[in-house]
Amino acid sequence: MNKKSWFSILFVMMFIFSAFLAGCSYEKPASNNTGSAGSDDGDAGAARDEIKVGLDVDAGTMDPRLSKDTSAKRVSELVYDGLIRLSANLEPEPGLAEKWESPDPTTWVFTLREDVTFHDGEPFTAEDVKYTFDSLIDPDFQAPYASLYEPIKSVEVVDDYQVKFTLKEPSAPLLSYLDIGIVPKHIGEKNDNTLSNNPIGTGPYKMVKWDKNSKISFEANDKYWGGSPKTNKLTYFIIPDNSTRVASLESGDIDIVHSPLSPQDIKRIKENDQFEVIETEGLGFTYLNFNQKHPILSDLKVRQAIAHLVNKEIISSDIYQGMDTPGKSPLIPASWAYDESISGFSYDPAKAAALFKEAGWEDSDGDSILDKDGEKLKITLSTHSEDPNRMQAVEYLQNEFTKNGVETEVKTSEWPTFSTGLTEGNFDIALVGWLNLVDPDRSFYNPFHTNGGSNYGKYSNATVDELIEKGRTTLEQAERKSFYQEAAKIVTEEVAYDVLLYQGYIAMYNKNLKGFTEHPAGSFYGLKDAEITN
Amino acid sequence: MATFIVKRFFQFIPVLLGISILVFFLLHLIPGDPALTLLGQDATKEDLERLRNVLGLNEPLYIQLMVFLKNLFQGDLGISIFQDTPVITLISTHLPATLELAVVAMIIALLIAIPLGIISAVKQFSWLDYGSMFFAQIGVSMPVFWMGLLLIIGFSVNLNILPSFGRGEPLLDAFVQTIQTGNLFYLVDSLQHIILPAFTLGVMSAALITRMVRSAMLEVLKEDYIRTAEAKGVRGIVVIMKHAFRNALIPVVTIVGLQFGNLLGGAIVTETVFAWPGIGRLVITAISQRDFPVVQGCVLMIALIFALINLIVDILYAIINPKIQQG
Repeated sequence: MNKKSWFSILFVMMFIFSAFLAGCSYEKPASNNTGSAGSDDGDAGAARDEIKVGLDVDAGTMDPRLSKDTSAKRVSELVYDGLIRLSANLEPEPGLAEKWESPDPTTWVFTLREDVTFHDGEPFTAEDVKYTFDSLIDPDFQAPYASLYEPIKSVEVVDDYQVKFTLKEPSAPLLSYLDIGIVPKHIGEKNDNTLSNNPIGTGPYKMVKWDKNSKISFEANDKYWGGSPKTNKLTYFIIPDNSTRVASLESGDIDIVHSPLSPQDIKRIKENDQFEVIETEGLGFTYLNFNQKHPILSDLKVRQAIAHLVNKEIISSDIYQGMDTPGKSPLIPASWAYDESISGFSYDPAKAAALFKEAGWEDSDGDSILDKDGEKLKITLSTHSEDPNRMQAVEYLQNEFTKNGVETEVKTSEWPTFSTGLTEGNFDIALVGWLNLVDPDRSFYNPFHTNGGSNYGKYSNATVDELIEKGRTTLEQAERKSFYQEAAKIVTEEVAYDVLLYQGYIAMYNKNLKGFTEHPAGSFYGLKDAEITN
Repeated sequence: MATFIVKRFFQFIPVLLGISILVFFLLHLIPGDPALTLLGQDATKEDLERLRNVLGLNEPLYIQLMVFLKNLFQGDLGISIFQDTPVITLISTHLPATLELAVVAMIIALLIAIPLGIISAVKQFSWLDYGSMFFAQIGVSMPVFWMGLLLIIGFSVNLNILPSFGRGEPLLDAFVQTIQTGNLFYLVDSLQHIILPAFTLGVMSAALITRMVRSAMLEVLKEDYIRTAEAKGVRGIVVIMKHAFRNALIPVVTIVGLQFGNLLGGAIVTETVFAWPGIGRLVITAISQRDFPVVQGCVLMIALIFALINLIVDILYAIINPKIQQG
């Protein structure tokens, strides 16, 4: 066949194809499951029966017992119910458990709801509760948060709708951790990882499809014991780039986004009256962790002097644009134990200089770096590279410290490298944060107790240990509050941490999304009562 | 030709093996512990130790390498530490998205580059030439993420005509669905999703290829046989396309082949900006979690594709210029 015939065939085929395309119709299918996040939102007039959410990362696993990332939690909140649910001021409220009582400090008896079924139609009973917690405390199950449930000695089924927890010792914070999703025993005990990819819970939404790294689709559970959700379809779209996520909100491709967000974008959206911006106190703080074993930083006066060189107001207003507020102590404002009277260290270079001098550090050779016995005052400030605001903060601090005679080197590395250095105690001062502090025990036991799992700076103080232990085992909230406030005063004064910022939690949504209630933990459970209006 | 292909194919094996071993050591030498990333900051030392044993991370490195290679030869790329899913499943769901993006990006790049390159060579030093070279300069210099964001702000936020993120139905599926149902929605929806990321990804290659086409054409246009053809009275367009362009194609094919490989690698940033669920994002996430099996599997797969592209380029050389095959 010569070239000319090839051309003729090609031409005829193109003609037929164009004719075919010209003859095609263009209409949106009734059930559009193409994954379109396009801006055409169905028929004009009728409100869309779908809420589109923008998430920053995909969930790692859908099994609530194994999950540790925030996205997995966002799935869990919709698909599963816990025995309890935490209210906006972090008080336990009934969930799958209608009520609970504690006949003695080491026993908890939960009475369960009788009208609950799993998404596959199987009834929910006490056996499922026992199975969930037995697996959580089983060392071979490798649950990331197993340590939270460590006080549980055993879980017994009293009858179908009553379950008894026996504890090794009294544990006040445990109740706050019982919001973890209850998984169905009949599926979980097959041990085939089904729940990791296909969650079956009792929650207001059922997961329909999970396109990894792309989107997670949910459908309303009409039989939900708490009343069927207002909107039938809900989709989480995974949009890793903060700026794209906000642009997608602006273009109407998604309806709601939440922290983490770039401070600059928040400012822009606030000025646009098409959107609602909700700022609440989050459940986390950002802090400088001082290595107490470091030859220079082991001196309390040096730590205090450095704390006086930290201008938290500037970091909050200029780097975080006011999204996160200046921190004071490890007790967060959202907590019932918050103590306003603890003020932390104010920015005061003169006081810092005086403290350095008391500790024997002076600039004897005129190179504007402090020294003592021929040794220069030199420290390394480290953080992780995933968070541009934290990188800016350490650079700002480097400048501030160096200006005041502390030779400061900045070291930023990506999270796995940084966190390995942190756990190995391989750092001088590290800028890092804690999240999800639903109970003060989480802000204190692991970080500050001599035997705490994440006491990276090796801080140790017998009085603090005792206060933290008492806080853990005392059930009366008022008493616990005093223990934690006392401990907070000491660790702040001794600069175990210098709490830089209280993290804010921000949700931004289109004003046509009505009925959504936010939560300091950023819970999306409130989406069950939300709907899109015109 | 067949022996040539078979011979080249066998040359892959040591290359792939070398890459696997290199990636294995690099991953294990950089600091960072998957157990710590998986269990989080709250984990106790005992928990971490237990998980490291389960994952086999406490074995000496050479034993871990042996296990990896043994599984590899059995076609088993392992299971993702974080996603609890076989690596091969993850690759098979993410790779097609990246390939689709890279192919469309390359088509866009060629559609821009070839006409621009030819015109700027034929009309050298004209405003068309300067315009094309200006475009090429911008395309090469502009960071991908910046261009992506500008396009999103322009076409999605302001004009509101294209979706700002994500992938529609796979292009081939959409095409089949359109043919079956006679409804253009599927194809249009899919194209609407791919156009911005593909343009973003393709524009840099377009810029490079434009320059390459221009310089190759300029060289060929100075050849004697072009003057002879013109003197014979052959029409201008025929001289340019048949006599000049075909001969200018060899260096162009090389750069197109290399660029296609780069598109697969460069897709990482584009995929992140446009939330495109491809293999680039999979690798980046896996690296940041130290999900060793996923990184190893993906790198191996990308290396394999690179090798295949090189093979295709070599075959294309032989087709364009039969002298190469004879030599």
